[in-house]
Amino acid sequence: MNPDDLRYHKEHTWIKVSGNKGTIGITDYAQDSLGDIVYIDLPELDATVEANSEFSEIESTKATSSVISPVSGKVIEVNEELSESPEMINEDAYGKGWIAVIELDNSDEIDDLMDASDYEKYVGEESK
Amino acid sequence: MRLTILGAGPGGYVAAIKAAQLGSTVTVVEDTEVGGTCLNWGCIPTKTLVASADMLAKTRELDTFGIELTGNIIPNLVRIIDRKNKVISTLVKGIKGLLQSWGISLKKGRGELVSPNEVRISLTDGSQENIESDRILIATGSRPAQIPAFPFDGKYILSSTDALNLTEIPKSLLIVGAGAIGCEFAFIYGELGADITLVEMLPRAVSTEDHEISELLQKELKKKKIKLITNVTVERAILEDGGVHAFLSDGQKLVAEKVLVSVGRTFNSDNIGLESVGIKTGERGEIPVNNKMETNIPGIYAVGDVTGGILLAHVASTEGIVAAANIMGHRCAIDYTVVPAAIFTSPEIASVGIREYQAEEQGIRYRTGHFHFRALGKAHAMGDISGLIKLIAEESSDKIIGAHIIGPHASDLIHEATLAVRRGLTIKEIAETMHAHPTLSEGIMEAAGDVHGKAIHVPRK
Repeated sequence: MNPDDLRYHKEHTWIKVSGNKGTIGITDYAQDSLGDIVYIDLPELDATVEANSEFSEIESTKATSSVISPVSGKVIEVNEELSESPEMINEDAYGKGWIAVIELDNSDEIDDLMDASDYEKYVGEESK
Repeated sequence: MRLTILGAGPGGYVAAIKAAQLGSTVTVVEDTEVGGTCLNWGCIPTKTLVASADMLAKTRELDTFGIELTGNIIPNLVRIIDRKNKVISTLVKGIKGLLQSWGISLKKGRGELVSPNEVRISLTDGSQENIESDRILIATGSRPAQIPAFPFDGKYILSSTDALNLTEIPKSLLIVGAGAIGCEFAFIYGELGADITLVEMLPRAVSTEDHEISELLQKELKKKKIKLITNVTVERAILEDGGVHAFLSDGQKLVAEKVLVSVGRTFNSDNIGLESVGIKTGERGEIPVNNKMETNIPGIYAVGDVTGGILLAHVASTEGIVAAANIMGHRCAIDYTVVPAAIFTSPEIASVGIREYQAEEQGIRYRTGHFHFRALGKAHAMGDISGLIKLIAEESSDKIIGAHIIGPHASDLIHEATLAVRRGLTIKEIAETMHAHPTLSEGIMEAAGDVHGKAIHVPRK
């Protein structure tokens, strides 16, 4: 159920790479653990993000959590629809719930990320 | 003992009643309306507006609560202000009735000290009257401070007083100063539909609060799409094309329909005859007093904002009680160690005791405990889950020395902690006190539990 064409970060974010750009969101496991999402603090356009650091923050009815970027780069597109309808992340984490598009600084960073089957194993272990 | 009091705000009228209770013959001189800033242009009117804004916010969420509404929700500022005026007039009448019941004479006019035993009143009807007394209490309060480069005009450049009497919701409002007053108005007019920008000279909004509380408030501002620009000042503002163009110290230019200036308060110590009796004033125009609320001139006391201390109504009232007691021969001293305070933003903020940054500055060894409202069943039932309770305890004694709350009913919740700080209770004593379920107060018990990692509704760390 985690799409094969995405790469996954251990902090439960995904990236879909196309050329030197990557679309980022949180995984289905993450949205399920968070519960109903009520607010997302979206990154700003042109903001610089670094791999393994916070680039957005999500508030759910259970908790407030950092969204950790899997890659370094510059924010070139933001899913503004989420500011009105953050629940789209719950409904469609890998589709309409995307958070931002990043222009990649270093595409080698992608190699450090997990593929779908590794991520599933990882999540399986973490939920034990 | 005859006492004349200048000013019938929360300092003056409370002192008047207390002194009368202790047997004094009291005259109160007031040039506007009893209740002072607090009742007429401060605490009460803003809370009345907050109530309308909250009602509007809740109404917008009706659907979430399973209530269907057919038709539109339209805030009508004229009627909101009417309601505010009604609330004020009810409470003004209440205070007048109280003063009357204690046989206190209320003179409508402006008082001025002639000597340590005489006050001249310029009555509102144009006549003058001199009153002799044994003691004088100055409780003349404060007024909004203005920025000399763009003084208040009541139309485009507004004081907090002006902002309580608008008849139309401005499309855009630039608020200079993100302290308690600026932030309260930001949430009020933001909810009513104005596009708000807050500009603050310091690095954060409500900068005197604990930093975690400021940060959370800043997040709530962002959620409401209220812009906050910090570390800047407004250098000049000009009127152009029916709006205000404001030039910031960082080079930015902002345009807004109106500007609200909330950068502090100026003390009402001018033109009340202080010079003629030799009362000293400080650099900011404040009247210094000792812990019995005495000025440098024997027999003349001062309380409230005009003394330049903590500008809060309940502080003024407490000072009024202390002054009245001392005037009537009972020795007592003011104690500022435990002063609760509340800010009526959305969500509310309340605090008592030390902030974490102060504990650090003072080299106090401390522990903190946190509890989020979103972990409380009651908060979910109410549909109000944003916010945090934070307690600070002295490490060696386990005594609670600070409490900081941002969240629903923070201003009511703070008093359990206030009593605990005042009485030197320990975190353990609070954590082991049964709290009723389901309530928001459970959060205090859980935050206390969290100080020692023993909160029940917090996941294992």
